[in-house]
Amino acid sequence: MKLICVDLDTALPAIPPCTHGAQWVLARLHGRPVGVVYPPAAGCDPAELGRLILAQRGWSIAQHLAADCLADERTFADLSSLPRACPRAPATPALTLTVAVCTRNRAAQLSECLDAVAAIDYPPHLLDIVIVDNAPSDGSTRDVVARYPRMRYVVEPRPGLDWARNAAIRASTADIVAYTDDDVSVDRGWPKAIAAAFEAEPHAACVTGLVVPDELDSPAQVLFETCGGFGRGFERAVYRVDVERGESAARLYGGTGRFGTGANMAFRRSFLASEGLFDPALDVGTPTNGGGDLEMFFRVLKAGRVLVYEPAAMVRHRHRRSYEELRRQIANNGIGFYSYLVRTARAYPDERAAIARLGLWWLWWWHVRRIVRALVRPGPVPLDLMLAELKGSFIGLRRYAVARRHAAAVLQQFGPPSERAAAEIS
Amino acid sequence: MKPDRDCAIAVRTVDIAQRVDPLADVSAYRLTRVFVTDGGVLVGSVEIANARQPISAIRLREAIANGLSYHLMRRALEKQLALDRVSRLPPHVPVSIVIPTCNRPDDLRRCLDALHRERPIRPREIVVVDNRPGPASPTAAVVRDFPDVRLVEEPKPGLSYARNCGFAAATGDILIAIDDDVVVSEGWLERLVAPFARREVMAVTGHVLPLELETRSQCEFEAYGGLGKGFNHFEVDGQWFRSVRGAVPTWNIGATANAAFRAAIFDDPAIGMLDEALGAGMPTGCSEDTYLFYRILKAGHTIVYDPTAFVWHRHRRDAAALRHQIHCYSKGHVAYHLTTLVRDGDRRALVRLGYSLPKIYLRRAYARLRRRSDYPLNLILTEVAGTLAGPWALWQSRRRVRRLGPGARMSRHHAVSMESPLTQTSAT
Repeated sequence: MKLICVDLDTALPAIPPCTHGAQWVLARLHGRPVGVVYPPAAGCDPAELGRLILAQRGWSIAQHLAADCLADERTFADLSSLPRACPRAPATPALTLTVAVCTRNRAAQLSECLDAVAAIDYPPHLLDIVIVDNAPSDGSTRDVVARYPRMRYVVEPRPGLDWARNAAIRASTADIVAYTDDDVSVDRGWPKAIAAAFEAEPHAACVTGLVVPDELDSPAQVLFETCGGFGRGFERAVYRVDVERGESAARLYGGTGRFGTGANMAFRRSFLASEGLFDPALDVGTPTNGGGDLEMFFRVLKAGRVLVYEPAAMVRHRHRRSYEELRRQIANNGIGFYSYLVRTARAYPDERAAIARLGLWWLWWWHVRRIVRALVRPGPVPLDLMLAELKGSFIGLRRYAVARRHAAAVLQQFGPPSERAAAEIS
Repeated sequence: MKPDRDCAIAVRTVDIAQRVDPLADVSAYRLTRVFVTDGGVLVGSVEIANARQPISAIRLREAIANGLSYHLMRRALEKQLALDRVSRLPPHVPVSIVIPTCNRPDDLRRCLDALHRERPIRPREIVVVDNRPGPASPTAAVVRDFPDVRLVEEPKPGLSYARNCGFAAATGDILIAIDDDVVVSEGWLERLVAPFARREVMAVTGHVLPLELETRSQCEFEAYGGLGKGFNHFEVDGQWFRSVRGAVPTWNIGATANAAFRAAIFDDPAIGMLDEALGAGMPTGCSEDTYLFYRILKAGHTIVYDPTAFVWHRHRRDAAALRHQIHCYSKGHVAYHLTTLVRDGDRRALVRLGYSLPKIYLRRAYARLRRRSDYPLNLILTEVAGTLAGPWALWQSRRRVRRLGPGARMSRHHAVSMESPLTQTSAT
C-alpha cells in the first residue's frame, strides 16, 4: 500500500483496509514528521487513527509543541496559547540551492521523480535543478527532461554514480548541492528544510534527511524496511568530531550509514570544492556498487565539520519490488560498506586501527550475531538475505582495488571531465 | 588547580520566559549543561554534546524541548491552573540566615554579595559564625564590609558546633542554613520559606546546582550525585518515615548547604539541636543534617523539598579535596546509621549497613569494570575505606564532644506550640 501522510493540523482521513503489503501512516505536525504509526489491517476511522497517533507518538508531539513554544520571538507561554501554525516553519531561505538528480536508463520511472521535483517549494530565483544523465544508452532520458522547462540536462558519459554526482557539482554555482535519486519523490518542503538546517548551523557541511518508503506493496518492500530501511528516526541530530583534539572519526562515527543515504543528502558546495569530489571508484555503476555517500559523510566528520540529520527534510523512496532486486541491493550494501572502509583506510592512515576494529566489530555484531540468532530462532528477515550481505562484505574487501583500476580505465577512455563537457546543457 | 579542558563542562542558565538565544561562548567545551528556568523558576537541565562548537538557537530549543518536554508541559499546566501561586508566608515573619565559615574569606564574600543582591520583603538577619576565631581570622574583615551582618564566634571546632551557635544567636522564627561556598539565586529566600505557610512543615530544603564544572574533580563530584536532589518537588512526613522498609533515606532529602527550619524545633526535646558528634570538622565528617531530618520526621513533622529554591555551589576543584570529601561522606553515612541504631533504637540501620551498602559498592564496581559507568574505581575504594572507618570515627567524635562539652543551646522558649497533625510515635 502507498504510504499515507496525514497532517495533524487538518482533519484526519479514514484509513482503508490493507489489501496487500503493509499500511503505514506517517503523521506530520506543522509539516514536520513526528512518527509512523501502523493502523490495524482492517483499516480504521479518523477518530481511531487519532487515538492511535496520540498513543504511539504522543511524546514526539509533546516535544514538538514544546519546541514550538520556545521558537523565535516567542516565549514559553501557557498551554492554552499553543500556536496553531508552526512558528518554526523555515523562513524564506537566503541560500542558493542546486537540486541534483542522478539517473541512468530509467526514463520510464523518471517522470514520477521529476514531477515531485518540479513541485518543490523554493524561491525560483535561488533554485537550480540539474538532471545528470549517467552514461545513457539512448536519448529517452533527455526526452523526459525536455518536458520540464526549468530543469537543466547534463550528460556524464563516464559510467558510475559518483562521476554523475561530481558532474552536478561542476554544473552548479549554488551554495548548496542537494542530491536525490531517480527512484525518489521529494517532499514539497524538502529543499527549504535543508536550507534552514544549513542556516541554523553555520558550520554544517552536510545535511541528511529522512527517507520513508513510498509504497509497501510487495513483501520485498516490507522486508527492506524490516532490514533497517533508510529512515534514521524523527529527531534532529547534530554530529561533529573534535579532530583537533585527536578524536578519531572512525572510532566515534565510522558506521556512517547511521547518518542517512545518498537518496537524501546535501552539501555545501564550498566544502566539496575544498575537500575533494566524490570518489569515482565508489558507488553504483562501479564494481563497488555503493559507499560513495558513506565515504563523503566520513570526510565531513574527518574534516571537523558539522553534519546535521534533519528529519523535516523528507523524501519518499520507492524500494525494489521483487525479492531478487532486494537481495541484490542488500548484497550491494555489504560490498559498498566494506569498500568504503577499505577506501577510508587507504586515505587516512591514522584511522586504520579504528577502521579495522570497526570492520571486525560490524562483522561480529551485525552479521555473525544476527545469523546465529536466525539459526536458533528464525526472525522476519530470511537467512538468505543475511548470508547475501555477509558474502557481499567479503567481496567488498577486494572490490575497491578493482574499482580503482576501473575508474582509471574510464578516465583513460573519456579523458578528465572538463568544465564545458559536464555543463553541456541541452 | 587548572581547568581541565577535556572533561570540563560549560554551565549555562537559559530563561525560557525570554527569547532563547544561541550559546556562542561555549566553543571551549565538549559538553554544555544548560539549566533551564522559566521566569526564575527552575525547570530542569539538559546536556548538549556541542563538541567545541557554539550551540545554535534551534539546537538549543530542540534540546530543551526534547529533554524537558515533561517538565515544560507540567510547568505550563501549573501556570494555567495557577498552581504556581503558592500561599506565601506572611511578610512579618522574621528569618535568620546562618552561615558558618572557617578561613574562606573569598567564598564568604561572594556568598554575602549574592545575599545582598536582593532586597528582602521581610525582616531578615544574617549571622556569620566564625568557627576558627582569632586575630588571624580573615572572617571579621569580610563581615565588616556588610554592616547588617552579625558575626558570632564559636571556638569549638566542628560545623555542628558552629551552626548550633548561629542558630542559638539568631532571632528569626525561620532559621536558614547555607554554606559559605554557595551563591543564592534570585528569589531564593521567598521560595525557600514559602512552604512554612503550612503549619505542619518544619523544614524545607532546596536544590544545589554546580556553579562551575571546570575540573575533573568537580565533574566527578556531580557524577557522584552532587548535592542536589533533582528537579521534582516532593515532601516527606512521619507517615513516610514509619512506612519505609529498610533505613530511612534521609540523605535523599537535602543538605544544610541549602535548608530552612522552624526555630521552634530546636527547642523541642524530641528533636533538639544538631548532633555535635556528626558533621564536618569532626572525625565523622558529615551527616549532622541527615540526622536532624531523621529526628524531625520521627517527631511526625513534614519536610518539603522545593527545587525552585536553588543555590549555586562551587564544588572542590582539586582531586585531593574531592577524595577527602567523599571519604567523609562515607564515614558520616555509617556514623549516622549507627547513631539512629544506638540513640533511637532503629534496627533498620542494620539492613543498610549489613546489606544495602555492600551491595551498592559491589554493583558500582561491577558497572565500572564493565565500563557501564564513568565513576572512577579509586573513588569507590575511597568510599569503602570511609565506610569501614565509620564506627571508629563516630567513637572518636563522641569522645571529642565529651571533652569539648556541649555546644550552644536555644535559650528562648517559643510561644509557637509544636502542634502537628501527627502524634509522635516510635519508629521501631
